[in-house]
Amino acid sequence: MISGAGFWVESCLIILRDDLFAETRCDMKCRRVQKKLSAYQDGALKPLEQEEISRHLLSCGSCRKEYEQLDRVWQALGGLEEISPGPWFYPQLVGKLKEPRKRGLLPALEHIFRFIGAPAIASIILVIGLAAGSYLGSNLARRGLFPSQSIPASDSQSGFFASMRVFDPAPPGTFAEGYLRMASYEESGSR
Amino acid sequence: MDKRPSDEELMTGIAKGDEYAFQILVERHQTSVLNLIYRFIGERTKSEDLAQEVFLRVWQAARTYEPKAKFTTWLYRIAANLCLNELKSSRRKRWLRFFHADTEEQTVGEEDFSDGLPSPEDLLLARERSRQITSALQSLPENQRMALILKRYDDLSYEEIARILNRSVSAVESLLVRAKKNLQEKLKIL
Repeated sequence: MISGAGFWVESCLIILRDDLFAETRCDMKCRRVQKKLSAYQDGALKPLEQEEISRHLLSCGSCRKEYEQLDRVWQALGGLEEISPGPWFYPQLVGKLKEPRKRGLLPALEHIFRFIGAPAIASIILVIGLAAGSYLGSNLARRGLFPSQSIPASDSQSGFFASMRVFDPAPPGTFAEGYLRMASYEESGSR
Repeated sequence: MDKRPSDEELMTGIAKGDEYAFQILVERHQTSVLNLIYRFIGERTKSEDLAQEVFLRVWQAARTYEPKAKFTTWLYRIAANLCLNELKSSRRKRWLRFFHADTEEQTVGEEDFSDGLPSPEDLLLARERSRQITSALQSLPENQRMALILKRYDDLSYEEIARILNRSVSAVESLLVRAKKNLQEKLKIL
């Protein structure tokens, strides 16, 4: 009796194991097939593989469903219409062909400009302008070209600050400064 | 027997400055080149300009052309490179688009149907479907998009696509798998 029950349990276990094994094997096969569905659709597999997948698709519902979805998308892409070139296409092309091609430094510079972009170029110009302005300003101040601010050449720091005075509302040595001085002189005279 | 000159024969003529050979070559390939670019870029006017640029390069390179592979592979390679470069430069120009929104540009899926006689509902449906496909296609990464267009619309082999995109065949295969997966996600509603 016991051995009969043991035999029955053992048989059940074997069936269960076989089922599980078959399922795993099927899963593995499905995964392998689904990886190749795209190439299968494109007809890019070897004839044997192509045939094997065709057979698998006939027997496996989930892989077939996957393939049908892929195919639906592929068919949908066919919905894009084809355009034709206008009658001017070739004459215009010949026109361009006969146009002399731009060569030399200018197109190269244009290309560089396009590549770097306007903001980058503008910032470079700004930095160069500021550097040149402060250099020239300090040089002019050192050489005494600003009458009110003649600074000894050794004093580079004060030279720099003097050069920054060009941003004042009335920079030294300008008409504006002269006008302000005149106004303050008249004011003090009237008092 | 086919008496039409082959592309390679035409190229030999073009190398000698034969404009008639050039015309035949352009007429033979203009539609496929134009559509390849149009599907990739999505703007008709820009696509026509680029297609003309492709043939200009063919004319200029005719003297140095060596028929190592199929002529169309070489031709599509020029077109693909131009498309990819165009995309890069248009990305750089994107910030300037605030200043001139190009509303007159006709895009893929907004074609003029005035020649045919579809009903207004069909026309609307077709336009909507076309718009969805176009936007899904345009949203794919560049190389996936180009590989997919070359496969779907020009029916090129993996080897040819690999030569055009300068990739390996297995890279093309995986580009296509990813492109199809992405499209599947994006076109679920269709």
